[in-house]
Amino acid sequence: MIRTFDIMLKDIHQILIDRQTFLFLLIMPVAFTFLFGYASGGFSSGSSDSRLPVGYITRDDSWFSQEMHELLADSEVIRLQEFPANKLDEMDKLIANEKLAAGIIIPERYGADFLKGKPIKITLIADNSATSTTTVKSAILSTLIRLDSAAQTANIMEQMIGNRTPFDYIFEETLSAWETPLIRISKIESSAIDPEVNETLAYISPGMMLQFAIAGLMTCAQIIVNERKSRSLQRLFTTATRRIHILAGHYLAILGIIFSQFTLLILFGTFALKVNYLRNPPATFLVAFASALCIAALGLLIGVVSKNEDQAVVFSLIPMFVFSGIGGAWMPLEFTSPTFQKIGHISPIAWAMDGFENIASRGLEFNSVLIPVAALLGYATAFFILAAWRFQVSQEH
Amino acid sequence: MDAIEVNDLYKSFGDVKAVQGVSFTAEQGTIFSLLGPNGAGKTTIIAMLSTLLRPDQGDAKIMGYSILENPMGVKSVLGVVPQEIALYEDLSARENSTFWGKMYGLRGSILKARVDEVLEMIGLTDRAKGAVSKFSGGMKRRVNIGVALLHKPQVIYMDEPTVGIDPQSRRNILDSVVALKNQGMTVLYTTHYMEEAQELSDKIAIMDFGKIVASGTHAELVKIVGQLDRITLTINAEGSQVLETWKAISGVAQISSENGFLTVLAEDSNLVLPRLFDSAASLNVRITSVNILEPNLEAVFLHLTGRALRD
Repeated sequence: MIRTFDIMLKDIHQILIDRQTFLFLLIMPVAFTFLFGYASGGFSSGSSDSRLPVGYITRDDSWFSQEMHELLADSEVIRLQEFPANKLDEMDKLIANEKLAAGIIIPERYGADFLKGKPIKITLIADNSATSTTTVKSAILSTLIRLDSAAQTANIMEQMIGNRTPFDYIFEETLSAWETPLIRISKIESSAIDPEVNETLAYISPGMMLQFAIAGLMTCAQIIVNERKSRSLQRLFTTATRRIHILAGHYLAILGIIFSQFTLLILFGTFALKVNYLRNPPATFLVAFASALCIAALGLLIGVVSKNEDQAVVFSLIPMFVFSGIGGAWMPLEFTSPTFQKIGHISPIAWAMDGFENIASRGLEFNSVLIPVAALLGYATAFFILAAWRFQVSQEH
Repeated sequence: MDAIEVNDLYKSFGDVKAVQGVSFTAEQGTIFSLLGPNGAGKTTIIAMLSTLLRPDQGDAKIMGYSILENPMGVKSVLGVVPQEIALYEDLSARENSTFWGKMYGLRGSILKARVDEVLEMIGLTDRAKGAVSKFSGGMKRRVNIGVALLHKPQVIYMDEPTVGIDPQSRRNILDSVVALKNQGMTVLYTTHYMEEAQELSDKIAIMDFGKIVASGTHAELVKIVGQLDRITLTINAEGSQVLETWKAISGVAQISSENGFLTVLAEDSNLVLPRLFDSAASLNVRITSVNILEPNLEAVFLHLTGRALRD
């Protein structure tokens, strides 16, 4: 067993003497967090957003719903915080705990029914005694009135001038004519607003951290590849070191590196970017540790299956782009359709993002990270078993 | 006592029969060489005796430990010097030695002392902190050998340890192999260099196509071909002046003169050569050059396989 730790320490030493390690594990995620943060306005108006946080769940994929989402997202009064359709309970809890001022639920077939003139209902969850509820209602109503007016105008125009001008065009034109309303709310006060928290960076920071943790695997995987190529692995087999100890040594080294990276970047995010990772430290620790277990197992698998250093680089970059892209590291999955959200959760990054966002952004309780952590542990187990199997098979031939 | 007992080993890779019924024994404290061309099956045998490969058939015992039944026992008495430079090249010679020492079960002050001793032994104390990647081929080979000696193994396998290095480093390695034997280690040495096997070995097994075609001491092997020593001379006179006289010298089997060279075939050049010098002196002829070619393993290999060793 002690040989496992000897191998781990040797690997960590090898990883740390490679300058590329620091580039991918620390410098790149910090640089890209700033880059994405500036690009999405995370640093534009100080660290706080004075708009009322409002939960948003949609069960309708129509273009009309998307128009409404865009109008609400652009609101100067409310700030939408998207939830997947199956996270209604979490949204409810946040409203009850005054972490959200209200919650909006868009029903199925909302857009189609609206355009057919059928009666429709949008659900608004809010505390009627709170002063902010009236503000939220006003903002939503003004948005609905804009939409309704635009739709009605487009219908009338279409009837008057026939098919010469398309409905969509008239609708967009009418909607844009209402872009600057006469009456605006400019000052909002609510206990749901936390002036110390930067919500924009609350998803960019974990996203970049997770993405570059996978990118950093190329260095770790190259250690394993080089060991095999140089026949040092064969030589290890001639010592009284068991195969599982060799594999475990490599795994623990990657785990140690990734978890250290997470710790440094979480501290950086907390103190430099005002991301509220420490709202629930045990939950954040658990998500970070489960994510590190998962990514380290992926690194081990990459190292075992790669035949040379070039393959190790390619096999690290592919999951980095695919898992990060579909897993919501670049853009919150809540901005996408429910179908894409389901597809996105094939990626372990999506579960890690859920875990970090539940704490840092949504302000949920410890229990909210248990499912993401379970999913990450499942991925970690699967990757490790695959790596161990491949390791065994490759040494037998 | 036999340190290595190999009994009827077989190993195939698909249709390729890499090792076919190999058996041999090596006494403790001796050097046993496997001599053969590339692809003869030498490295496969080393891999099986290191427990890296499981034989299809047969067994072997290393210091009494069966490679099939007690591989951990085998590993505990074994040091392996692979053909490749099996080191972590981004680490220094000391870091490599320390890591491999730990893998061989050494710890603490014993480990540090052995690392220092081995670095001294391979002549790299001054370069101990340098990354192995910056070393010359010969230096890498020395580290490659050194790490296998850290735990003072009872048996050491050296798989073509002199491939691709300069003559000076090669000389150092050959000397160190003899030194290991003198320390009581049993060395199993593979090579395709006939001269190395001839110089180092107490016993030699000549391999070809996965089989041992002959084995024994050097003397026993050359007897197989029964060749005579070939002595080639030049003299400061016409060859015809000495031909008839030298034909009559005891021990000379045949003599011929061609292109200014006299070629004498003799049963034992050590006995015949002084007689030739005496005869030349009495004939007032001076021998200006001598070259002796004894029957060698190359000839044995050629005799047994019909091919040259380096083919």
